[in-house]
Amino acid sequence: MIPDKVVEILRGPSVMQVGTRDANLRPFHSYVWGAIVHEDRQTVTFFIYENRSRRIVSDLEDNGRVALGIAQASHEAYQLKGSYISSRTASDDDYAFQEAYRSKLCAAIGQVWPEEMVKRLFLGAAYRPGVAITFRVEEVFLQTPGPGAGSKMA
Amino acid sequence: MPTSESSPDGNDPGLREQIAENQRTIDRLNRDLARKSNDVRIIQQISSEITSTLDLDEVLAVVLRAMERVLGFQHSMVLLQDLAEAKLRVCASSGFDPSGVGAEVALGHGVLGVVAERKRMMRVGNVGASVAYFAGIRARMEAAGEIAPGGAVPALPGLAKAQSQLALPLLVKDRLVGVLAVESPKANAFDELDEILLTIVANQAATAIDNARTYQMVEKLGRLKRFFSPQLAELIVTGGADDPLKTHRRDVTVVFLDLRGFTAFAETAEPEEVMSVLREYHAEMGRLILEHEGTLERFTGDGMMIFFNDPTPVSDPAKRALRMALAMRERVTPLCERWRKRGHELDLGIGIAQGYATIGAIGFEGRWDYGAIGTVTNLAARLCGEAKPSQILVTRRVASDAEDLVETEPVGPLTLKGLAKPVPAFNVVRLKS
Amino acid sequence: MGILPDEIKPAMQGVIPSHIVTCSRDGIPNASVISQVYYVDPDHVALSHQFFNKTTSNVRENPHAVACITHPETLETWDLELEYDHSETTGPVFDTMDMQIEAIASMTGMKGIFKLRSADIYRVVSVIKNADERIQP
Repeated sequence: MIPDKVVEILRGPSVMQVGTRDANLRPFHSYVWGAIVHEDRQTVTFFIYENRSRRIVSDLEDNGRVALGIAQASHEAYQLKGSYISSRTASDDDYAFQEAYRSKLCAAIGQVWPEEMVKRLFLGAAYRPGVAITFRVEEVFLQTPGPGAGSKMA
Repeated sequence: MPTSESSPDGNDPGLREQIAENQRTIDRLNRDLARKSNDVRIIQQISSEITSTLDLDEVLAVVLRAMERVLGFQHSMVLLQDLAEAKLRVCASSGFDPSGVGAEVALGHGVLGVVAERKRMMRVGNVGASVAYFAGIRARMEAAGEIAPGGAVPALPGLAKAQSQLALPLLVKDRLVGVLAVESPKANAFDELDEILLTIVANQAATAIDNARTYQMVEKLGRLKRFFSPQLAELIVTGGADDPLKTHRRDVTVVFLDLRGFTAFAETAEPEEVMSVLREYHAEMGRLILEHEGTLERFTGDGMMIFFNDPTPVSDPAKRALRMALAMRERVTPLCERWRKRGHELDLGIGIAQGYATIGAIGFEGRWDYGAIGTVTNLAARLCGEAKPSQILVTRRVASDAEDLVETEPVGPLTLKGLAKPVPAFNVVRLKS
Repeated sequence: MGILPDEIKPAMQGVIPSHIVTCSRDGIPNASVISQVYYVDPDHVALSHQFFNKTTSNVRENPHAVACITHPETLETWDLELEYDHSETTGPVFDTMDMQIEAIASMTGMKGIFKLRSADIYRVVSVIKNADERIQP
């Protein structure tokens, strides 16, 4: 079960990234444009740009290890680790969700950073065509810099 | 030869992109090169301007003008190191409101302070974000009780919302003179080329500032030497560890001298004649004071107060004082002869005492004097007042401190104004052979 | 000719935070945010090591890492494939990073609390500019 606090941050808007690795333990990275927490509060679906998904999905099909980092402009940060379940092409509903998410993200981060730059940064990042990846969360870590950073929450 | 799947006729999009990319690189290099050679010319011009004056304010003005008008830095400042204390002070700035001139920065504090402490250049393009990041960690550590809540951190001069700072140490050989800094509210405003340009400016500025400061110091020293002993003047200028003008207590030997009959002489003689006698007398006494490393506290007409052992400690202050007094008596005797021939009855009287005095700057802003206060000065003055022509009256302590140096004869005890009990006094007859 | 182009340097000033993914010896990836990837030379970058964390411990058992950095003007992202090489506690790279941290720490009352343990030096294996991941206006 993902703690309430983390569910809230996952629903965002937060800056998110996914990390995977290949059979030779070489890591890979992609920005994530929104995530959905399923009702079981253990399954999460997130969205990435298709270009990036090729390597990500190939890694996941090889070993299934997922790390999802979530951070707020306040530096509050968490990391979810778990196992790959499935992937599919993003649907129109997913795009609508991502677009709304990106707008909210601009508004939130724009409070702290120069808004003009934030808009160019996030709204200028490609997300279509996108891929939805679903995984089962097995561990949750606190990553906010400072006391308790790196400690396991669930 | 490796084969390529793409056709080599330039229609391949990858190849076209590659050619375009190469062209962009060439254009950029050309632009950089043009900027560089132009910058080099500008720098040469600035350099010759900076080094063409010995006036510190002028040097600073030239540096800042060049920073703004020629190099295009909107916000720049020069901080100089306080010679006495471990801190920097903003001495000139351009593009700041308020100017910040006079603001202080402790060594090791902030970008400027750390640059001064390490004597290394620093370029930061994300000051605001970094401060927010660190402050966040601090707040969370405080909340978790890992560290005690901190007091306020001293404010730093400069833009309230500086995102970029480039600060360079002003060094002459390896000695820190100050810091040259530019700031911007924009993130990542400065690059490596700015580092190179400012390094050249900083090198030139450091030398020019140092020369101007040395010149200023020599000038100031010259002025101070007119009022103070050379030792004291040098101590004031270098701002040595013990500031002689800061109030302190010290065991000193105080010598008072004046000319018997001077008041009557001054009342009856022509002012020109009085001045001529005084000049002669001051010149001779002054030379002997310097020779014996005494500190002239003040002279008022024919009276002089000199002390020994401050601001620079000396060995055997009482003996030095006595040697000086005897030399003075010897030197004044032929002068008195000459004056007598011109009809003036003048004779030297000297009083010497030893003890603790409170010494430091006395006066008010705009008119400071270096003075000593205490019974010892009073005592020396009273003994001088009691001295008959050519007598050197000293206290028991001075007489006993110098008993292997001089022969003395008791005179007294003397009842002196301002002192409750009669004081035993001794007249110095001569040096022991 | 080194592997890092000059145009990447502004992305190494910490204006926009960077992301790094590492992987433990037993195959668990780790994604984290870092404030700055420091430029060392055309073939090397450095990361500051202030606290022990998963990134620093992972690369000491499996040197492979990937960092995603963002150019603050073009906003293009770059993927740097990295290999942890060694850590330095003296020398010019360490000094540059250390004095920056000290300056900021002194401004936030964290001097002595927040300090650089080491400069972790990584060899750059490959650089990719993700030019095709921007939406052209």
